[in-house]
Amino acid sequence: MAEETLLTDDFLRQLINVGEVDILVGLPTHNNAKTIDPVIRAVQAGILECFPRERVVIINADGGSQDGTPERVTGASIDDVWNVSKVYALRTLHSISTQYARSPEPGTALRTILAAADLLRAKACVLVSPDSTTIEPDWLQRLVRPVYNDNFDMVSPIYRRQKFEGALMRNLLYPMTRAIYGHRIREPYASEFAISGRLATDFLDKEIWNHDWGRIGAEICLTVTAMTGKYRVCQAFLGTKAQPDRSARDLLAAMRQTVGALFSSLDSNFPLWSAITGSQSVPTIGALSEVMLEPVRVNRKQLWEMFATGVAELEPIFRSILSASTLSELQRIATLDVSDFHYPGDVWAKTVFEFAASYHRSVISRDHIVQALVPLYRGRALTFLVENREGSGEDIERSVESLCGEFERLKPYLLEVWADRK
Amino acid sequence: MKREAGWYKDAIIYQIHVRTFSDSNGDGIGDFQGLAQKLDYVQELGVNAIWLMPFFSSPLRDDGYDISDYRSIHPNYGTLDDFKTFLSSAHDRGIRVIVELVANHTSDQHPWFLESRSSKDNPKRDWYVWSDTDTGYRGTRIIFIDTEMSNWAWDPISKSYYWHRFFSHQPDLNYDNPAVREEVWNVMKFWLELGVDGFRLDAVPYLIEREGTSCENLPETHQVVRELRKKVDDQFPGAMLLAEANQWPADLRPYFGNGDEFHMAFHFPLMPRMFMGLRLEDRKPITEIMQQTPEIPASCQWCLFLRNHDELTLEMVTDIERDYMYDIYARDKTMRLNLGIRRRLAPLLDNDRRRIELMNGMLMSLPGTPIIYYGDEIGMGDNIYLGDRNGVRTPMQWSGGWNGGFSIADPERLYSPPILNPVYGYQAVNVLSQKRTEHSLLSWMKHIIQIRRSSPVFGSGSIEFLHPANHRVLAYVRQLGRETFLIVNNLSSAAQAVELDLRRYKGNILIEMFGKNIFPRVGDLPYLLTMGPYQFYWFRLRRI
Repeated sequence: MAEETLLTDDFLRQLINVGEVDILVGLPTHNNAKTIDPVIRAVQAGILECFPRERVVIINADGGSQDGTPERVTGASIDDVWNVSKVYALRTLHSISTQYARSPEPGTALRTILAAADLLRAKACVLVSPDSTTIEPDWLQRLVRPVYNDNFDMVSPIYRRQKFEGALMRNLLYPMTRAIYGHRIREPYASEFAISGRLATDFLDKEIWNHDWGRIGAEICLTVTAMTGKYRVCQAFLGTKAQPDRSARDLLAAMRQTVGALFSSLDSNFPLWSAITGSQSVPTIGALSEVMLEPVRVNRKQLWEMFATGVAELEPIFRSILSASTLSELQRIATLDVSDFHYPGDVWAKTVFEFAASYHRSVISRDHIVQALVPLYRGRALTFLVENREGSGEDIERSVESLCGEFERLKPYLLEVWADRK
Repeated sequence: MKREAGWYKDAIIYQIHVRTFSDSNGDGIGDFQGLAQKLDYVQELGVNAIWLMPFFSSPLRDDGYDISDYRSIHPNYGTLDDFKTFLSSAHDRGIRVIVELVANHTSDQHPWFLESRSSKDNPKRDWYVWSDTDTGYRGTRIIFIDTEMSNWAWDPISKSYYWHRFFSHQPDLNYDNPAVREEVWNVMKFWLELGVDGFRLDAVPYLIEREGTSCENLPETHQVVRELRKKVDDQFPGAMLLAEANQWPADLRPYFGNGDEFHMAFHFPLMPRMFMGLRLEDRKPITEIMQQTPEIPASCQWCLFLRNHDELTLEMVTDIERDYMYDIYARDKTMRLNLGIRRRLAPLLDNDRRRIELMNGMLMSLPGTPIIYYGDEIGMGDNIYLGDRNGVRTPMQWSGGWNGGFSIADPERLYSPPILNPVYGYQAVNVLSQKRTEHSLLSWMKHIIQIRRSSPVFGSGSIEFLHPANHRVLAYVRQLGRETFLIVNNLSSAAQAVELDLRRYKGNILIEMFGKNIFPRVGDLPYLLTMGPYQFYWFRLRRI
């Protein structure tokens, strides 16, 4: 049993004291002391307001914080929430924290939380990001109710985002996941989501935990599992999602966690996704994706330079990954002036598919493949920004939809290159 | 029987309605002679006090809580001589008798009220609360919200309004009138001289009315109580006064005064929270209300109960708690009455023997004097299709025979149909069959009462709650002198492991009080107990 070595004796003792629960709120953390307070307050208020009768536990899986994050979680007094919201819990609300054994890895945190959900027989398990400072108490019920009351197995979020935030999601993760697995899930790699106890238990038994992707890309594997298994999936609109400040290095890490995991999932699920054509919408509760139109400064020149430099410097690597025609097209695009720059959706879709096929074949180190995609993604992101600079929310939606259409249209191409490169 | 001071602290009270208990003359209604014949049973049960619901002359529009003569017995129940015989027989068995004093109001058929309403000049006019309008005391809540629209009722005879906190046929007495207070004392004196051991004073908080207040718990009400108490102490030392005041603990505390008001008061808020804690499988509701329960004078005592003749009152809970209780315990709206649930103990607990035992275990081990409602000791059911609270006042089930052994009358003549369904009917649930079975609920109740009565710790000891991390476990230590008991209750339907911090009792061994088995000695480490579903332990701590 995986959890035998995953859970410390002290954590197990705390779980015994908690006993069976209806809802488990998981908070994976690592040095989040600066942002965790409003998150925990919102979670507690959400529990008091929406689930006063249910047995609820907040479980903090911490990756070795040095800034006192776990203490902030377990020390947050429910009385403070009670005093503000004047709502009252019928039950004891448990807040427990554990430091998982390995270095900070989101997958291990998720696995710890899922193991706890499994042991406590949670009917619903909801994960909340420790840096979601815009979280509102009712996020909790929006995520949990479909699982707890309506027998969904996974609730994926939809956020209100600033129009140039979530570019990786809009340009790669969403279109590709949708094309591959046939479900229109806007946030396949979400930091907030809810799953059923059944899915939590089933996912715990997956092989992924023995692979690197299990430690760093488990969330997207979970979404893929939900889409490819006999699970009911829906989306719920939450509200404004704050985007944490990210450096260039963060993008690489994010792509390793997300794109790498997505590519990896294709290996084991080929029989499933290869038979899927087109895509279907999933039930959505609340508003569809919303876009805020506040002007945002974008350094187009920097993005252009990163793309052009990458195409030039990584050409030997691209030769082993990309087809000659795609590489040639990229090299042509790299010669365009920043003001004329345009990385078309079909070329981008082909690029991503060829990377996926190369990843499958492991033509070079898989990690290097993901790294090599980063500058190309920047080029695509630049096109997205330029195309939508003056666009409305609807324009952006049309743009995303158009890109998704390209990914779906070119899926046979993926199957082609996938077979060629086996 | 000598009234010893403080006898009530170690008492276990059995609540009986004469009408429902045993019919000696075959008229279909229980009576004092029938009750006297069943005193052996009451004695065998192990209780040492009886609380009798109203048996006075009354039109019986509120089951006797509408009294028309405080000094006579309702003819349905026998004569004053029958009462005296019963009282004497009870005392002979060491059983004390507490009677009702419905002092807040009378029946509208009481001669006092008939005189009072006869004219505005009648000397007894001021014995009740009259007004030319129905606009006074606007801040006063209505208690029987299902039946009453106002606390004022129009009297067509004297063409004015009279005040009533309960049904409109129950006008409130005017305690601002010294003549009323004197007459109420005379009534008490009458029964104390006959030998009763105490009174349960009904509806105490509502004795006095004042404009601009809630007309509840007023200082003047306490003054009335203090006057009565002083007279009781001076003339009938040892007699006990029990307050029925459905209030929050902080509002109840003044009814003990400085030991110069009531000897006992019902702990109304605790009872629904015991049911709540059980279904939530969480000790929080119980420990919270106990934390809010103030200290009371040493001579005073809380009165604890699980069920009684009224609905399971939900007045002293929050809205969210009330909604929860309704959803869990009274999903069928027929079960609801006013702000409460009109059901007996066993049906409330789905006839689950383990939960019934656990609830009784807590009743007997939390600080206070427990009251057992007649029939709950055998797991009697209820009939929610009878009106008002009559569904929990059905005939006592003595045997599987004719009318459940309650009466030889034709079944159609009984004051109330007995419970007949296959689960709770008298053929399935009755005293006779349970007396013959060692492991029946009745036998178990006798056992726990015997253990409870074996030590004054339960009645008079201190309580300290333990705080094990497992919130499904309610644990507390009761202590008096050198005796220490540890009580551990598993509120969960599943087995639980619990670690108790008993370091301060290091060196003691634990002796389980039901089986008298020895448990391991307490050491420095947390004391680990594993408990089955709804299991509870009573341990005596001994240093050997």
